[in-house]
Amino acid sequence: MSAYETQGFKLDNSGKRVVVDPVCRIEGHLRVEVNLDSNNVIRNAVSTGTMWRGLEVILKGRDPRDAWAFTERICGVCTGTHALTSVRAVEDALDIQIPENANTIRNLMQLNLYVHDHLVHFYHLHALDWVDVVSALKADPKKTSELAQSISSWPLSSPGYFRDVQNRLKKFVESGQLGPFSNGYWGSPAYKLPPEANLMAVTHYLEALDFQKEIVKVHTIFGGKNPHPNWLVGGVPCAINVNDTGAVGAINMERLNLIKSIIDRSKEFVEQVYIPDLLAIASFYKGWGYGGGLSSKNFMSYGDIPQRANDYTASNLLLPRGAVINGDLSKIHEIDLRNPDEIQEFVNHSWYKYADESKGLHPWDGVTEANYHPEGPNFKGTRTRIEALDESAKYSWIKAPRWKGNAMEVGPLSRMVLGYLQPKQYPIIKDTIDGVLHKLDLPVTALFSTLGRTAARGIEALYCADLQVQQFDKLMANLKAGDTSTANVDKWDPSKWPAEAKGVGFTEAPRGALGHWIKVKDTKIDNYQCVVPTTWNGSPRDAKGQIGAFEASLMNTPLAKADQPLEILRTLHSFDPCLACSTH
Amino acid sequence: MSVTTQDDESAITAAGNSVYVYEAPVRAWHWINALSIVTLAITGWFIASPLPSVSGEASENFLMGYIRFTHFVAGYVFAIGLLVRLYWAFVGNHHARQLFLLPVTDGNWWAGLLQEIRWYAFLEKYPKKYVGHNPLGHLFMYFAITLSGTFLIVTGFALYGEGAQEGHWSHWLFTSWVIPLFGQSQTVHTWHHLVAWGVVCFVIIHVYTAIREDIMSRQTMISAMIDGKRTFRE
Amino acid sequence: MSTETFYEVMRRQGISRRSFLKFCSLTAASLGLAPTMAPQIAHAMETKPRTPVIWLHGLECTCCSESFIRSAHPLAKDVVLSMLSLDYDDTLMAAAGHQAEAIIDEIKKKYKGNYILAVEGNPPLNEDGMFCIHGGRPFVEVLKETAADAKAIISWGACASWGCVQAAKPNPTRATPVHKVITDKPIIKVPGCPPIAEVMTAVVTYMLTFDRIPELDRQGRPKMFYGQRIHDKCYRRPHFDAGQFVEEWDDEAARKGYCLYKMGCKGPTTYNACSTVRWNGGVSFPIQSGHGCIGCSEEGFWDKGGFYNRVTDIKQFGVESNADKVGGTIAGIAGAAVVAHAAVSALTKARGGKEDQNKGGK
Ligand code: HEM
Ligand code: HEM
Ligand code: NFV
Ligand code: SF4
Ligand code: SF4
Ligand code: F3S
Ligand SMILES: [Mg+2]
Repeated sequence: MSAYETQGFKLDNSGKRVVVDPVCRIEGHLRVEVNLDSNNVIRNAVSTGTMWRGLEVILKGRDPRDAWAFTERICGVCTGTHALTSVRAVEDALDIQIPENANTIRNLMQLNLYVHDHLVHFYHLHALDWVDVVSALKADPKKTSELAQSISSWPLSSPGYFRDVQNRLKKFVESGQLGPFSNGYWGSPAYKLPPEANLMAVTHYLEALDFQKEIVKVHTIFGGKNPHPNWLVGGVPCAINVNDTGAVGAINMERLNLIKSIIDRSKEFVEQVYIPDLLAIASFYKGWGYGGGLSSKNFMSYGDIPQRANDYTASNLLLPRGAVINGDLSKIHEIDLRNPDEIQEFVNHSWYKYADESKGLHPWDGVTEANYHPEGPNFKGTRTRIEALDESAKYSWIKAPRWKGNAMEVGPLSRMVLGYLQPKQYPIIKDTIDGVLHKLDLPVTALFSTLGRTAARGIEALYCADLQVQQFDKLMANLKAGDTSTANVDKWDPSKWPAEAKGVGFTEAPRGALGHWIKVKDTKIDNYQCVVPTTWNGSPRDAKGQIGAFEASLMNTPLAKADQPLEILRTLHSFDPCLACSTH
Repeated sequence: MSVTTQDDESAITAAGNSVYVYEAPVRAWHWINALSIVTLAITGWFIASPLPSVSGEASENFLMGYIRFTHFVAGYVFAIGLLVRLYWAFVGNHHARQLFLLPVTDGNWWAGLLQEIRWYAFLEKYPKKYVGHNPLGHLFMYFAITLSGTFLIVTGFALYGEGAQEGHWSHWLFTSWVIPLFGQSQTVHTWHHLVAWGVVCFVIIHVYTAIREDIMSRQTMISAMIDGKRTFRE
Repeated sequence: MSTETFYEVMRRQGISRRSFLKFCSLTAASLGLAPTMAPQIAHAMETKPRTPVIWLHGLECTCCSESFIRSAHPLAKDVVLSMLSLDYDDTLMAAAGHQAEAIIDEIKKKYKGNYILAVEGNPPLNEDGMFCIHGGRPFVEVLKETAADAKAIISWGACASWGCVQAAKPNPTRATPVHKVITDKPIIKVPGCPPIAEVMTAVVTYMLTFDRIPELDRQGRPKMFYGQRIHDKCYRRPHFDAGQFVEEWDDEAARKGYCLYKMGCKGPTTYNACSTVRWNGGVSFPIQSGHGCIGCSEEGFWDKGGFYNRVTDIKQFGVESNADKVGGTIAGIAGAAVVAHAAVSALTKARGGKEDQNKGGK
């Protein structure tokens, strides 16, 4: 195949083809193939979702009240967000209003997810793209301590503390059993941190691993467990009782205090560890400005965190809603999830079958029928031994969603930029971003990059950690006012449902805009379709040859070493790919 | 064991004749069994669909506990009863064996079955006389009591053993293999429940036919289960 | 490659012999063993190298991994750095692509018959296995190859143990639990969706310390955590026995913490440790937070009817129904038939009674 141009990118698959499969440190199964020119610069990128489970098929004919549990199992990393989206879709279809407390509790759980998921992504899925573990062995613990203390007031920062960690690490490495660090790209010239910064980051990798398990306890209290807490159509399952006999069997003062303490500690950790580390690491990679992809061109967010219950309009959402296309940042478009012409999914390059593949399908009329056919003129290998995929044929288990025909990037960066563009409604987002850019001495345009995506996630974690406190206060104020209701059961009984109904629920999942579309017929699910953040970002090409966000972001990136995919991992990881989500 | 069919019966079934069919243990068992099944069905229903909540402290109440306890006691009675009844099939008269054996190789029995079905479909003017069970009743009893009863005992004690825990005989004898056989406990509940309904259906039909035959057929029925004697009339 | 013992690793980390021994007695206690077992644990740890673990992912949602890292005792960090050698795990490992794949080969060779294979998720068998592709080929092949030289296999979660959500009807990919694909190795099932973090790490530490697989029940689950039902140890059980139930979400009974049986709680039919070990460091568990147990550690729990029904749906009959509907309908029909039959009988008898009497007999 020859070269062609799309969305401002020149694709050319003539050079050397490099395959990375599996792409690790992500959720699920992802493969990526790139073509390198003679300077090891990526001139063509092909990303493939390599798993499919068929949840949309499995949901047919089931009780809509059970759907949250099925869809929650789409992903254990962004656990809960699918469940929330699902109960919202069912409530929309059946016209169920939820109590104020239920909305606040759901918000708290959702915000809690952002903080947890972003933190774990930064340290445990992403950091090793920037941090050289082996180099940390060479660090001077004293200087590391000085560095740490210069950027944060986090108390765990003495030279002795860093020395202990370094010793533990040293002996670990010397043992020869490197565990998860085996065969890493240590020593690659692409790593830029000095040993002290590496040691500090590795130390916090371990600290964050210990701490993240505390954050999720908010889910455990309201939903009984994490991962995969429990949800309820019509509200939340946890009853509140702060006064009467039997309070110990419900959300009571002790539980509320526990939540408060977790929220406060999470905020502290984000403020004093995550953000300082992020800034410190970013300051060494400022020059590495690759990976922008679609981020400045086409991006969107559905918005989330409704202040008042049951109002999902843009002005009521604490996370922004809107779309930007063709790089025109001056215009924020409205999104209508019900309009059959706006969101559509195409399968021209996906392993699915439509009766007529020349048209996209709006999710209410969506069809999910598997059709594994990797074969094409440039395909190399066999059906069960793929050597090189053919991007001119079908090549991924991910569908290709489009908004008004455009491939879109979604995620924290999109949200934060949309907030930045609407400073009146989102002053805190604007201020935080300005602060970060100022500290790094970078222009706003620097946001549209791999690093920008990673920074936006941190900024969002900070914003959400703060919102948790706000939402908690709101819950307490409502309780003080005497409202302890948590569920509306008027329409619990299916005999009260209309014969046919359809609804749509949306959230901003940690990785971006998430929507579930449901059709209910005779009290059972007639059709259920999910269009998921990583479906957007990991989208394969469409009929017009437009590439998705992953593919676009890899374009024109030089690799330090052609046989070490470090830069590819870096950029892909900046999206926090979730493949179980993307294909579901 | 053998079960008598019609060959030798014509002489016995002459009008006015009376034969001792159901020995005392069979009769006693019949009524005890009937009582236990009624108890099991009622308590079983309330196990699956409990009564409205009672008020007061949990420690002051034990309603669900008593209902379950009653079910389990009746379950023991039912199970032991069936075992004793099985024993009696060996030592009792040949009518005592009927419940446990279907003479499926006997052409006469099949003919009788057909005749009995026609009788119930109002296609036969005259019912036949039987010293023991008529083939249709025999068939029903075999399926509803011998097979379904055994199934309920096996699944019932398998469920019972879950609560009684490892170490209890019921866990060792039933739970340990029944639950894995069905895959999981919920499935065992469902089947126990479903088959329980089958037994309830039998009881409805059985009681009806017993009374009906007492009136319409040419032999005593209910009193036969009381004094053991089958008396034939014209 | 050094083959350090667990004890050496701990010593290297600056842990004194005294605290090591203390650790051993704590381990004994947390596994519910007599204190006299502590020396045996210590001995085991002093003489054994860190066991390599390969952690593969099939069709799954990664919540088993997410659960694992939530372990509070021992900390996931300590498990990974000191207790075993997590040499391959696509979710956490630094390497990718060829560099990652090379590790599997290396471990297979170097530790033939001595590594543990942990499986999260399951292989799909339809479409030649290509519903889950790993390195360009079917995951099921990678699974079989890696299993071939493993000492034992841990099936994490409902996916690996039973099939879980992707195996729910109609199971479009033919997602198949591990034990149906690997039949010649000891397999420890640790079901749950996901399993409790501390149960996961306890199973691992048990295997490392005692150098044997835990005692399993007939279905392959460790008896120590899956020997009893949620219901057997549920703190709401007194309300169950009393006959005090939540009748509706957020009703007075819900606020008092009554039993969730009528809301469809599957605690009475679910074998797991939630009501005792609880979740996330013992903070709560589903029932404590007001929602019934959905039976997430049981085989095929997705297809046992709705999560909110006590008498659950049966799909065997093609139509949506439950035991009460089926049985009740049949009983109703039987009752109606009896009444109708009795009426017709009475009529027949009244009409032809005399005649019958005369002609009767022969
Ligand atoms: C739960 C209730 C009942 C059950 C499970 C039940 C079960 C049985 C069984 C298993 C037999 C066969 C006995 C044997 O061969 O050992 C039988 C016979 C009989 N039962 Fe019942 N019974 C029930 C209630 C009744 C009632 C209420 C009546 C009277 C109205 C009744 C009348 C009879 C009669 C007359 C026979 C003898 C039938 C014959 O001679 O062929 N039963 N029953
Ligand atoms: C005619 C015989 C029987 C009938 C009609 C009957 C009926 C029932 C019914 C309807 C249920 C509720 C099932 C559900 O959970 O949906 C039940 C549960 C049960 N039955 Fe029976 N049953 C019979 C015999 C037995 C026997 C012989 C035993 C042995 C002890 C037994 C033990 C149990 C147990 C342990 C339960 C579960 C109780 C619980 O979950 O709390 N049943 N039975
Ligand atoms: N993509 C995705 Fe998710 C998220 N965030 C869900 O909607 O990760 Ni598993
Ligand atoms: S068992 Fe459940 S929790 Fe574990 S991976 Fe499967 S779906 Fe996720
Ligand atoms: S809440 Fe569930 S597990 Fe607990 S006692 Fe009630 S039925 Fe049993
Ligand atoms: S739903 Fe699962 S988490 Fe425990 S309480 Fe039930 S087994
Ligand atoms: Mg979809």
